[in-house]
Amino acid sequence: MMKPGVIVPAFCALQFFCVPLTAQVTDQQLREANSANWLHYNGSYDGRRHSTLDQVSTTTIDALVPKWVYHVPGATHLETVPIVVDGVMYVTQPNEVYAIDARTGRQIWDYHRVPARQKGPNRGVAVWKDKVYVTTPDAYLIALSAAAGNVIWETKLAEANDGYWSPAAPLVVNGKILAGIAPGDHGLNGFLDAYDATTGERLWRFNPIPKPGEPGSETWAGDSWKHAGGDTWLTGSYDPELNLLYWGIGNPAPDFNGDVRLGDNLYTESVVALDLDTGRMKWYFQFTPHDTMDWDAVEIPILVDAPYQGKMRKLMAHADRNGFYYLLDRVTGKFLEGTPFVHHLNWASGLTPQGRPIRIPGIEPSLQGTVVCPSAIGAANWQSPAYSPATGLFYVVAQEGCGLANKSTETFRPGGFQYRATGDVDLRDDSWKVYVRALDLTTGKLRWESERIGSNGFGGGLLSTAGGLLFSGELNGEFAALDSKTGKTLWHFNTGQQITSQPVTYAVSGKQYVAIATASDIVSFGLFEPKGK
Amino acid sequence: MKQMFIPSLLALAAAGICCAQVNKPSNPLGDSPQVAEAGRLIYNRTCTGCHGPDGSEGDRAPALDANRRYFRVSEAAIFDVVKNGIPGTVMPSSGLPDTDVWKTVAFIRNVRATASDLVVPGNVENGMTVFTGAGRCAHCHMIRGQGGVLGPDLSSIGAQVNLKKLHETLTKERPAPNGYRPVTVTTLRGEMVSGVARNADAFSLQVLSEAGKLHLFLTTELSKVVYAEHSLMPHNYDKVLNAEQYRDLVAMLAVQARTKVKALLQGENEVGR
Repeated sequence: MMKPGVIVPAFCALQFFCVPLTAQVTDQQLREANSANWLHYNGSYDGRRHSTLDQVSTTTIDALVPKWVYHVPGATHLETVPIVVDGVMYVTQPNEVYAIDARTGRQIWDYHRVPARQKGPNRGVAVWKDKVYVTTPDAYLIALSAAAGNVIWETKLAEANDGYWSPAAPLVVNGKILAGIAPGDHGLNGFLDAYDATTGERLWRFNPIPKPGEPGSETWAGDSWKHAGGDTWLTGSYDPELNLLYWGIGNPAPDFNGDVRLGDNLYTESVVALDLDTGRMKWYFQFTPHDTMDWDAVEIPILVDAPYQGKMRKLMAHADRNGFYYLLDRVTGKFLEGTPFVHHLNWASGLTPQGRPIRIPGIEPSLQGTVVCPSAIGAANWQSPAYSPATGLFYVVAQEGCGLANKSTETFRPGGFQYRATGDVDLRDDSWKVYVRALDLTTGKLRWESERIGSNGFGGGLLSTAGGLLFSGELNGEFAALDSKTGKTLWHFNTGQQITSQPVTYAVSGKQYVAIATASDIVSFGLFEPKGK
Repeated sequence: MKQMFIPSLLALAAAGICCAQVNKPSNPLGDSPQVAEAGRLIYNRTCTGCHGPDGSEGDRAPALDANRRYFRVSEAAIFDVVKNGIPGTVMPSSGLPDTDVWKTVAFIRNVRATASDLVVPGNVENGMTVFTGAGRCAHCHMIRGQGGVLGPDLSSIGAQVNLKKLHETLTKERPAPNGYRPVTVTTLRGEMVSGVARNADAFSLQVLSEAGKLHLFLTTELSKVVYAEHSLMPHNYDKVLNAEQYRDLVAMLAVQARTKVKALLQGENEVGR
């Protein structure tokens, strides 16, 4: 018998080739969010979607051209946000992850989850050290090796057969993965989980729906808390100094009939500030108490330190699906400012000094139908906003429009059935329009707007750059660059497909790229380089 | 006669479907390699006139190793066809005693089985020790999150290949699969990177290096690209491991399956598609 040592000819090479993986993305890198990489769903923990890259600028934008296109096999409705680490781009569709050479668009590896439950969308991965994390339609959190796509571990978030699934890109902070869940529209109570990024072990779970006896439970009539919604289907933000997560919570259930859940229905339609280490809630602010229009408050919270009333403050800005723009003190959750950012808003006459909406009686879903503005799809939605420190402006994709809202009685049925008690019909008259709007950070006043002409729906989100640009992906397929100071369109490219994702920017070998997912492809743009230069 | 070519066992699946009942009895003799081998001998003296030896193509009926549908139907359905034939076709009753029919059933099922469908003798736990130890497989391969990334992930290898191919992979030189071709590149600056080419075209090359790090090149940045002739995968495990180690390694690899097809097979026509 030959001994292992005799294997030398074969294994010499193996030993030479096989050493442990080197770490890729550190906690510090995730905090600093180096501009050459795009490490988070919204680029940085503060959710600003602002890059310091300025090679592509108001003066060079004319030379921006497509560099490559990667077709995601079988894709028809991508909502993935590319994550870029040292020249490697990671994109997703439900049950699938692809690693792509970010300079050339060539595939490096792909991951397919089998057996796969089909439900979309998937909005992207998170990265930490040598791993890539993705959640799935069957409500699992999967850790893959960043270099090869191998499954390192997987952990179950919730029971898919009950109707749970997970579309949001996770967020990784200090070795913890924050993963949310959907859908509240099925009467399933949501949660936000933290997992050990190394092992996949669950560290804590925040339940946005309080159980009887817990603070907030008094805001739910009877047993309505049992099938109450409050899910976490978008990615939140994080403040390293305060060690607080800021996460938007979705709608109460049933969506359109609040008669069975009298009360404010905490903590649905709120932003909650959670201690990263324990998951304990430090404060909450509810945008729409007792919502009956499915106005999930999951829209991205943007964190900015800026002067407010003569003092430097830690602020949180949020454009809610209910049509109001909010400015909060993110240390305490105190309401500072609030103002409508759409004209079509008929359900509230304003906000109290505490930020509570002053409701107009009768403007809510009814048996015969009531016109409610904004419509259920909202004045804002999952399209990421952006903030530029250079202009001090908060940019949001705003939709003007109303819906004819109905309610009915409906009984919760287990097994993933919808529990909405009806909905609304979009009233798409001539006034139904989509805009990119720039708001003053501290007052919410409109500075400029640019209509997405030809788009009858939100489309994609926004990206701000130090080049003075605001990139905007439109539902009609146009990918546009606006002057972030004025809103003037400086450049556009017709991708020929609907865009329902958020743009990103990154740099490889000193060259800046701007990329976005269209319905079926990833398209990356860079400056034209004449031959020989 | 044309009728003579009616694919008798081809109708097995259909027969299984029409008579489907969940939880039909499974093979009382089991499906060990010994039972399957006994079945092969019976098969080769009983069925080869139509179906060919060892399940390969015959003159008058389809080859049983040509399609995995013979694995999809239940053992009880195959038993019924072998024992009673298929009325209205040229598939006759075998006339075999029940014990021999069950042995034949075990063989038929094994003809198209992947390694994880079979009971492969050996100590799985010890096989994992060989994988991470004497065999040094884990330096390049991963199973359920443990191991290297230079070679293919083997977490489901038992469900991907049959036992024959598993043995061949460990003992015979095979070309490197796509995405794992060894390559050494030299950049214009003179730096060398060795690894496997995960992808390549005329304009770029994506290399997973020996350090498990991705290196992404434009071909214009390279002065030299040399592909190795041979795969990095050793093919002498039957020689460098002792018989027990080799057996246990194979047994361990054979059970690696993310989806246990056999465990799912409770009724007819449910799995194996």
